[in-house]
Amino acid sequence: MLLLTFQGHLTSTDPLDFLTHMQNFFMDNGPDAFGCMSEILGDNFYFRKAKTKEKYRQQSVNMWKTKSYVDLLKYKICPMTYRSKSLNKYCSLLSDVIHDIPPELLGSLLYEELVEQSDRAQFFEGATGGALAFVPFSQSEGCLLYPGGPGMDRLNFHKVALQHPGERPPCLDASGSAPASFQLKAAIRQISCGSLFGDCCVAVRSDHLCGVWRFSERREPSLLQVVSTPAAATCVSVSPHVLGEVLVASESGAAHLWRVGRGMQRVRAEESNLYFNAKSSWRWCEFSAHPRVMLYADKTGAELTDFRVKAAMSAGHTLFRISSTADCQSGERLLLCRYLGDAHAFHHLVTTQHSAYIMDERFPCTPMLKWDHMMQAPPLFCHVEPDRAAGGTTKVLLGSQSSQEITLLQYSGGRVEACCSRGSPQVLLRPTDSLGRLPPQIPHRQKPAADRLASPAAGLTGFQVRDRLCVLQLTEAGDVFYQTMERRRRGGEPPEAPEAASDLRPPDVMETSPWRHAHLRPAVCDTWSDEDVIGPTQAPGAQTVVPETPEREESGERGRLQVFINDGTEEASGGGEEAAERREAPVTASSRTLHTWKVWLQKLRQARQEAAHGAPRFSVQTRGLLHASDGDAGGEELRRRLKRRMWSRSLLLGTAAAVDPVPVPPLVDAEAWTDPVSARLTVAWRGEDEWRAWWQDRQGLNRTTKMEALRRKRRREKEARRAARGHMELTGSFTSSVSYQTELDELSGSTGWSSAASQGAWSDGELAALLEGDHAAAAPHDEDVPPLTATPQKEPPSRPTTPQTPTANQRRGRPGWLYETQDGPSQSSGPPLRPVASSSSSQLPGSQPASLRPTFSSLGDSQFLSPIRASQSQRGPSQSSQPKKKKSRMGF
Amino acid sequence: MDALDELLGPPVDLEDESDSSDNSSRKRHKSKLPLAKPLCAEGQTESGFHKTCRTCLEHIREAMLHHRWQEAAEYMVSYTQVLEDRNKGRALPNKELIWRISTEILHHLSHSTVKDYNIIYERMKHSGVKHYLMICLEHSFHLMLHGQIEGAKQQLSVAESWRHGKVSSSQHQRHKLIQAYRSLLDYMIWCDKKSTLSTNNFVFDSDNQAMHTYFRHASVNLQDILKNPGIWDPFILCYVEMLEFYGDNEEALKVLNDYAYDNSFPPNPNAQVYVYQFLKRHNAPEKKLIKVLRNLQILVPSHELMLEYSYLLLQSEKTSDTEKALGVLLEMLDFACWRSNLDVWTCLKAVTHQLLLREDGEMTVCKHMTLRKDWWPALHFTSFHAEKDREESSKLLEVKASLAEILCPGRALKYTADEMPT
Repeated sequence: MLLLTFQGHLTSTDPLDFLTHMQNFFMDNGPDAFGCMSEILGDNFYFRKAKTKEKYRQQSVNMWKTKSYVDLLKYKICPMTYRSKSLNKYCSLLSDVIHDIPPELLGSLLYEELVEQSDRAQFFEGATGGALAFVPFSQSEGCLLYPGGPGMDRLNFHKVALQHPGERPPCLDASGSAPASFQLKAAIRQISCGSLFGDCCVAVRSDHLCGVWRFSERREPSLLQVVSTPAAATCVSVSPHVLGEVLVASESGAAHLWRVGRGMQRVRAEESNLYFNAKSSWRWCEFSAHPRVMLYADKTGAELTDFRVKAAMSAGHTLFRISSTADCQSGERLLLCRYLGDAHAFHHLVTTQHSAYIMDERFPCTPMLKWDHMMQAPPLFCHVEPDRAAGGTTKVLLGSQSSQEITLLQYSGGRVEACCSRGSPQVLLRPTDSLGRLPPQIPHRQKPAADRLASPAAGLTGFQVRDRLCVLQLTEAGDVFYQTMERRRRGGEPPEAPEAASDLRPPDVMETSPWRHAHLRPAVCDTWSDEDVIGPTQAPGAQTVVPETPEREESGERGRLQVFINDGTEEASGGGEEAAERREAPVTASSRTLHTWKVWLQKLRQARQEAAHGAPRFSVQTRGLLHASDGDAGGEELRRRLKRRMWSRSLLLGTAAAVDPVPVPPLVDAEAWTDPVSARLTVAWRGEDEWRAWWQDRQGLNRTTKMEALRRKRRREKEARRAARGHMELTGSFTSSVSYQTELDELSGSTGWSSAASQGAWSDGELAALLEGDHAAAAPHDEDVPPLTATPQKEPPSRPTTPQTPTANQRRGRPGWLYETQDGPSQSSGPPLRPVASSSSSQLPGSQPASLRPTFSSLGDSQFLSPIRASQSQRGPSQSSQPKKKKSRMGF
Repeated sequence: MDALDELLGPPVDLEDESDSSDNSSRKRHKSKLPLAKPLCAEGQTESGFHKTCRTCLEHIREAMLHHRWQEAAEYMVSYTQVLEDRNKGRALPNKELIWRISTEILHHLSHSTVKDYNIIYERMKHSGVKHYLMICLEHSFHLMLHGQIEGAKQQLSVAESWRHGKVSSSQHQRHKLIQAYRSLLDYMIWCDKKSTLSTNNFVFDSDNQAMHTYFRHASVNLQDILKNPGIWDPFILCYVEMLEFYGDNEEALKVLNDYAYDNSFPPNPNAQVYVYQFLKRHNAPEKKLIKVLRNLQILVPSHELMLEYSYLLLQSEKTSDTEKALGVLLEMLDFACWRSNLDVWTCLKAVTHQLLLREDGEMTVCKHMTLRKDWWPALHFTSFHAEKDREESSKLLEVKASLAEILCPGRALKYTADEMPT
């Protein structure tokens, strides 16, 4: 819709906001909205002051009053105070003829468009696959392919070099050469690359056009062929087997094998979705291990199709099917497929909103591995980095669009050993996070920078150089960000864990491996960590290198950073001439990173200013607004002092120049006046309710309610105590490494019970205080402040107070290790012995590993019946009747 | 007390329904794709208690996803208070959440002990009946990982005898899994006993007896379980090994055949491989082996046993078998993983030479190549391939070059054994 381009800055795409959009259109683009009728009616209205009217237009109606009223509408005014009778009359007279476009039509069209836009903002399936690719030439050089230009319609081939300046984090250097670029007709949605023997074939997809380029390290990119698809194309995929073969799928449901230069061959056509009606025309194609078998997917599942069989009669083998794969949730849909030819010749990655699956095409319908990727937005981009070294892990990077998340999943196996996930999902930094790690900006600059950084992601790629993994991310604004991650070696620990063979690891990967000996760590300039002064460059030795450098990828000379500012975004940026001197504050990122960011922010600002020049701005004259009168000598003095204080950054306190302070009258001590009248007065000051309560109290009207309340309170306290004791035990396993067995032993002793009881009575507040290291506040608590959950009745009167001290000490000791940084070698056990044959599935149907099952996302399951509180309710009465007897922690 | 007061107050129970059904006065447009439910959705009317829990959960999530386990553990200390939520709809998911998050965090804390795990598992097991079996299973896996086979077995035995209410289908399935794993552990103990028996020449009768008991326990269960359609690879291997030890080869073969050829089971190439391996161990005639391999070839033409299959075919006297071998080898070479395998190419060379000795040999080769002729040159015989093969293995280059002309006659191939003029 055309008019939305005017509203570029209006971020809301709630379809129900269409009235606001229409209002804006009528206000801002009157000539377009009412052009025709205003030509016709124009002669009959006169909008200036009445004085001169007579001369020119005898026939016209005087409208200046109405006009001045309409002018007011630009501001927010109260419709009740400001109303114009004449306008209402005109409105009922003309409202159905004055519009060029009937408002009903405009409204419904606008609504439709907004619905689509809000859908797109949440999830735009056209972008699946991502428009960013990296083709490595050698260890340190490669070609980055990305879209540029204001409409993302310029394809850039940019040679970049990866530099490793010593121990410092590596950085991408794109300044070597200018990119070779091609202007296309439409926005680039997907870039797919395939290279064979150093020769690279690139397929690019926009909505209705697909093109294929070819290049290599020595050869400049050249366009081979372009085809247009009648229905919107949803996928291109370059063959990893034969150079120049490309699969194209479109919304019509057809898949074509495009042999560049030799025509298209239709290999599959589907009218409907594969397995059930998912109301989606999105299709996807991937090659598989056989060059003449492809994977054909839609939202409901994926099938293997052989080209050699005639398209009409090929049924295909189901590889993945939403409804029949174990543990699929309702509403789960396939979002992305990827052939993992580099990592394993027969593996495919399939992702849904909730999970990621590794499928083996020889073993259809049985996932080799399933993760819950824990991403909030659906993953649309992925990059897979095969394990280069033996014993390494294959890394799967999933990227989402709207939330810019990148999640790293790792797995190993698939050949001799069964597939096995290594470690839990790890989230990488997002562009939005990076602003927080930079020196603070002035608010009005922070805002546009944050807006720019928050634009949705449009692509993801990565490459591995030795021990480093470099992850690049493209946003829809055209920026490319990268971060490098380094394999962390644990100092002193041999790479292989010592105790090996005795461990059995069931084929269901129930537990994420606690024993991986090396893992990737994001480059963290953490502000949370204890040593946040240490920049990535000064990381001590080779042990834990923490190289997080979210950097703006620069292209060409820095002047050509793709900071395109769309014309629509015009926010008044009140004068901003200060140069960015304040940036050198040494913080977490390396100086190089900071420099790159600084340049990027400056570019952004410049571009904004250029864009903002054309548009008129509303400005308020502030000169003299805060001007003291000249004759006031005291004011002059005050101002001077104020200035000096500001200079020295201290407070200006009242001095002789200030007005004499009026003494505060002494406080009335209400307690001292005990007679009924005074009490009544005191209470009356606190409000009517209080007063009424006092009155009823005095009359004795509310005895029964009071008793009831007291009883209820007691009951509640009892329940609270019970519940608190329950979760204390769980808490215990995080705060203490004290074994429950020894506690049981203690319980039988004479002092034991009290230590446990006091443990039970420890409230969360105190615990929190302890955890914050607030020992002084926490230790004497039991005496003077009643704990939140413990109540006086609960404490046995004869409770010995002495044993509490050791407990307190014991507790106090804990925060020490709680604050230990976790440098120590993690629990290690040997590589598992698995009774699984080669290429067998790692999981049984129906036995999807529990640990991989949702911890986060499956909460809404309604399948659960009401819980039976057997443990708590049984325990309750016995304890409340005889508080002295403590039961064991786990016994129910 | 505030949080508790609110918690116990009557309106809390209704709150969940009200905020899930309708978010605000005007209904939000619903997306076409059902998105993953946000973990920490803000309710419209939210008590302070729920708000703290939600915030805490957000922090835990953030910390866990960034692998800051220590921090997550610190938040977890407070998060257990969520169990006090009396809302029936939320209590169960909350319990599951606590269980999963806690164990995950404990996995990554360097100083977590088995005792910590035990506390979590035992406590969570009994606080939500729904998860009892799953937690038992996970607990036993954890014990297995730490080498406590006996402990794990005990966990599984307890779970096996556990019953609650009506047996739902998922519960039934879990029961089966638990049985299967218990038998697997029986097998492991059996293996231990066997190895001690074999090292000690002097055998006590009681030891032998105990070993048999374990075998009986395991076999009864496994026999039962293997009747259910599914993929039971590790279990069937154990069972077959035990049967073979006691000399019951017929039963073993029957079990394997059922597993491989029963149509109600999902297609499983491994099952065929197991049959083949079993037959080979027992010196079955070649005919039987070829039959098994033929079935496997239909399922997985790229399997590594196909090389063996083609050798077998080549050795047999029948002429049609040579042709079959050609088909098998060509199909293998279609796949990426065999493309530069010298053995396959050499075998192919032998087959074609044998075929070409016959008069209709050329025709046969042509017939097999018709479907491949338009993409095989690009797949195998480009000048790039020649260059690469020359670098990696000159032997392969030689074999391939000699085959290029035979397989793709009449095409000007750039794949030659001669040095390229550069």
